[in-house]
Amino acid sequence: MLRVTLRGLLTRKLRLGLTAMAIVLGVTFVTGTLVLGDTLNRTFDNLIGGIYQHVDFQIRGKQTLSGVGNTGVDSTVNRRSVPQSVAAAVGRLPGVQFDYGSVGGYAQLVGPGGHAIGSARGALGFSFDPNPQLSALKLVRGRAPAGADQVVIDQNTVQKHHLAIGERVRMLLPNGHRTFTISGVVTFGSASSLAGSTLAGFQLRTAQRLFNSVGRYDTINVLVKQGADKVAVQREIARALPAGAEVVSGQAVADELDQTIHSGLSFLSTALLIFAFISLLVGSFTIFNTFAITVGQRTRELALLRVVGAGRRQLFVSVLTEAALTGLLASLIGLGLGVVAAIGLKALLGAFGLSLPSAPLVFRARTPVVALLVGIGVTTLSAIVPARRAVRIPPVAALVALDGDSSAQLRRRRLLIGAALTALAALLLVDGLVRARIGLVGLGALCVFIATVALVPAIAAPLAQALGGPLARVLGVPGRLGRRNSSRNPRRTAQTAGALMIGMALVSTIAVLGSSLSSSARQEVSSALSADYIVTGGDHVDLSTTTTVSRLPGVAATTAVFSGQFDVRGSLQSLGAVTTGGLERTVKLNIVSGQGVPALAGGELLVDTNTAATKGLHIGSVVPVTFAQTGPTTMRVGGIYRYNPLVGSYLTGARYFLAHFDHPSIQALLVSTRAPAPRFDQRLRAVLSANPNLKAKTRTQFVQDQQNNVNKLLGLIYVLLALAVLVAMIGIVNTLLLSVFERTHEIGLLRAVGMRRSQVRWMVRAEAVIIALFGAVVGIVVGTGLGLALSSSLRNSGVTALSVPVGSLIAFLVLSALLGLGAASWPARRAAKLDVLRAIATE
Amino acid sequence: MSGAPQMLDSPPPPASGPAARAVALTKVYGAGEVAVRALDGVDVEFEAGRLTAVMGPSGSGKSTLMHCMAGLDAPTSGQAFVAEKEIGRLDDSALTALRRERIGFVFQAFNLIPTLTAEENITLSADLAGRRVDREWFDYLVGRLRIADRTGHRPSELSGGQQQRVACARALIGRPDLIFADEPTGNLDSGASAEVLRFLRGAVDEHGQSIVMVTHEPAAAAYADRVVFLADGRVVGELLEPSADSVLEQMKRLDG
Repeated sequence: MLRVTLRGLLTRKLRLGLTAMAIVLGVTFVTGTLVLGDTLNRTFDNLIGGIYQHVDFQIRGKQTLSGVGNTGVDSTVNRRSVPQSVAAAVGRLPGVQFDYGSVGGYAQLVGPGGHAIGSARGALGFSFDPNPQLSALKLVRGRAPAGADQVVIDQNTVQKHHLAIGERVRMLLPNGHRTFTISGVVTFGSASSLAGSTLAGFQLRTAQRLFNSVGRYDTINVLVKQGADKVAVQREIARALPAGAEVVSGQAVADELDQTIHSGLSFLSTALLIFAFISLLVGSFTIFNTFAITVGQRTRELALLRVVGAGRRQLFVSVLTEAALTGLLASLIGLGLGVVAAIGLKALLGAFGLSLPSAPLVFRARTPVVALLVGIGVTTLSAIVPARRAVRIPPVAALVALDGDSSAQLRRRRLLIGAALTALAALLLVDGLVRARIGLVGLGALCVFIATVALVPAIAAPLAQALGGPLARVLGVPGRLGRRNSSRNPRRTAQTAGALMIGMALVSTIAVLGSSLSSSARQEVSSALSADYIVTGGDHVDLSTTTTVSRLPGVAATTAVFSGQFDVRGSLQSLGAVTTGGLERTVKLNIVSGQGVPALAGGELLVDTNTAATKGLHIGSVVPVTFAQTGPTTMRVGGIYRYNPLVGSYLTGARYFLAHFDHPSIQALLVSTRAPAPRFDQRLRAVLSANPNLKAKTRTQFVQDQQNNVNKLLGLIYVLLALAVLVAMIGIVNTLLLSVFERTHEIGLLRAVGMRRSQVRWMVRAEAVIIALFGAVVGIVVGTGLGLALSSSLRNSGVTALSVPVGSLIAFLVLSALLGLGAASWPARRAAKLDVLRAIATE
Repeated sequence: MSGAPQMLDSPPPPASGPAARAVALTKVYGAGEVAVRALDGVDVEFEAGRLTAVMGPSGSGKSTLMHCMAGLDAPTSGQAFVAEKEIGRLDDSALTALRRERIGFVFQAFNLIPTLTAEENITLSADLAGRRVDREWFDYLVGRLRIADRTGHRPSELSGGQQQRVACARALIGRPDLIFADEPTGNLDSGASAEVLRFLRGAVDEHGQSIVMVTHEPAAAAYADRVVFLADGRVVGELLEPSADSVLEQMKRLDG
């Protein structure tokens, strides 16, 4: 039986190839993601391991806030620094050979053109220890910083921006900006930079002053004397530490860092894998369809096998073996291509400035196992239903031509399943929407997909007829024939279109969500802000800027908006803070109960209505809170406001906020001007020009920026979904080729009675366009529905407006038709090239 | 039949002048030792306004002759003329046009496009050419063929005989110069066969239609004005005003 299967496979090479293509693409994506992820992980592990291999222990402030809540823990903010005296005390302990403290913070270079280099978030400043054994930074050229005005810069930045030793560079710092002389070039361990960050190393004293840490260290690294009992030394150090400080091994610090990086990278991998699985899901339609059609075409052959004694089981296994072998072959190719893709992706990351130390690709045993399992699994599972159909063929079908598709009962079951799933989906969606639970909405969406796939064959024929109407009118007989062909086997048309349908549904969902996000941003800004200008600067607007701007002529009010994290009743939350003078002229704070400005000025806590409801807070509630630097305290709820996306859920006054944060960061500066203020624009920009990070935007520009960000994200998702659409297109090509093959005789007859080659081509194209439009229409309708559902389920997370991007959706429809036309080109050519006589003679 | 429309534009032509002819027509399949000469220098004329039967045992080349004459297949050498146009000189689009405008076909099986109704099948060539269909002629044909009430049906809803009669209507609807019928009754029972053959005979007698019919059934050949016998790719005999018995006798002689 296996021999029969293999023979069959070889004689249908083309079909095999097309079917495999869908799997190849999916497996390539999976493999590429896994290899890239492993390689990045290994690279960082090596890097971090190298840095901490000489550090026996590290002393640091205890983490005051635990990471439970809706925001991740920012470890640098959540640990208090340690007094400098601790280092001296620990250094005197008998087992300790040496210890040294260090500090770090924000330090961003300003390039020769006056533009800030890199992002503010990746601008890392360090205290640089010249002892090569102690520092993560290795000096490769020049000297260590010797004075308060010297700095060492990482090699990557130096090379990329053509900096030289001795050159004077301006740096943006937490308290303003200063000019330094480059004294040397450093590397981070073995890497020329730390994954695209810019590094600046200062003398310890200088660093302490720059980063607001005079007399304190962020961390103290400890080296133990040779031969000393490490456990005993650690115990001794722990005894010498003040409350709020802890001592951990260098290994533990490295592991923590690894963990942080791994979870960051795994987010990336997961995102990529989701798209890989979407394209595999779409690919499974192609496989299902191919096998269903081939089983249909081979009815006689399969029946003959039954006549000569093949058992049902053997036939079933035979079809599944064919699928598994196809999957195996495709997975192997995909595995190879995936490695190539990983190399390409890594190079791409490098091009985006995420330069990584060159390291060999990591190919873990898990990668081929997953790739093969996924590839073979998807192919085999998709072939189960066709295999069962093959088994149901009675032996007598070898002798008499039976109508292959006698599945009225199946169709009824399909309708029942579809109806049941639709009902379930409706329940889930309604429940999810009412309670704004995105998980339920997602589950509902999945049900909608399956229900659509189950129900679509029922509407395939009438819908294809309707869609083909205009085509038939334009193209005449070929169009009419194409239209009839498309509704000839509704199930096949539906399956083929199903792949595109899923792709288009996802694209439309994202488009609707994106459009809703964009209009929400517009609404939010007008409903939350009355300021005329918004000054932002990558989280690092320094306090002095606030003063400068507020003194500008024409300014009616300025408000500084701060942001930090605190712990509320055991969960980590974002806390916003605003300066209270002139607040009512810049922020529209819609107070529902309690007080606004007076409560803020008095250091009370304001919460939004949602939070008040879910946490059971009301005016006068006293809430236990914890701050990273000042520890536990309580706050009184002084007011409740309507949800304001720009302010967040928790708000307090700036004075209270500054008292509890060592490194306050101003997120934005809101500026209101007196009525007509000509040339204010220029004056404001002139004041801000000292810090290239600072950008003044009008409200319109601010909205535009937000929308651009949304569009950028949309673009990225579209690119990733394009793969799924590509796979769907392959499915159309496949089905059409099979149909053309099946209708060889018919095409021959058409040619014999006078159909021109071009008319044959248009007949096939018409069918393809109808199939594609069918998938697109259903997909866009389903996707729009899901997008609206998703958007409204996110209404508590900032999606306050619903919007359907009609233009984009029409563009998708047109694009689908063009894709169909493209998919038809090969099958159409094959059909037109058929030799008339051969076609007539074909049995 | 009484309702036959007058065919003023093409009165029954005199039985003279060929509708198609072949000159030294040769067709070789394959090459070298395995080469098969399906047609070996065939010279034959098919007169206009006549029903000519082409007979011969299987492998005699009768189908190949028809395919080459109809422009479905290209001869290896020699010439084939339809309406005094040499088929070998025409490119694919001219051949397609020729088939659409000047030739009608009736095949043994699979004559109809399954997605089209009987009426759409009949008017297919005209529709493909973007030509108007002569409704009077259409009504006459479907009436004569007793399929007037079946024109809205798909082929799968028609009996074998009805399908073949639809094919006949399609072949005649454009009043082609010549109709090629390839074993038109091969799949039919005797009753249905007789009906199709009588109709073809009538088309020749009443409307001067020229028809070439390939068959291996003496009874079918008996409807012809003339029978051309083929064996091993050559014309080996001919019979005028045949009867089933005389055809059978001739065939026996050829076999022997």
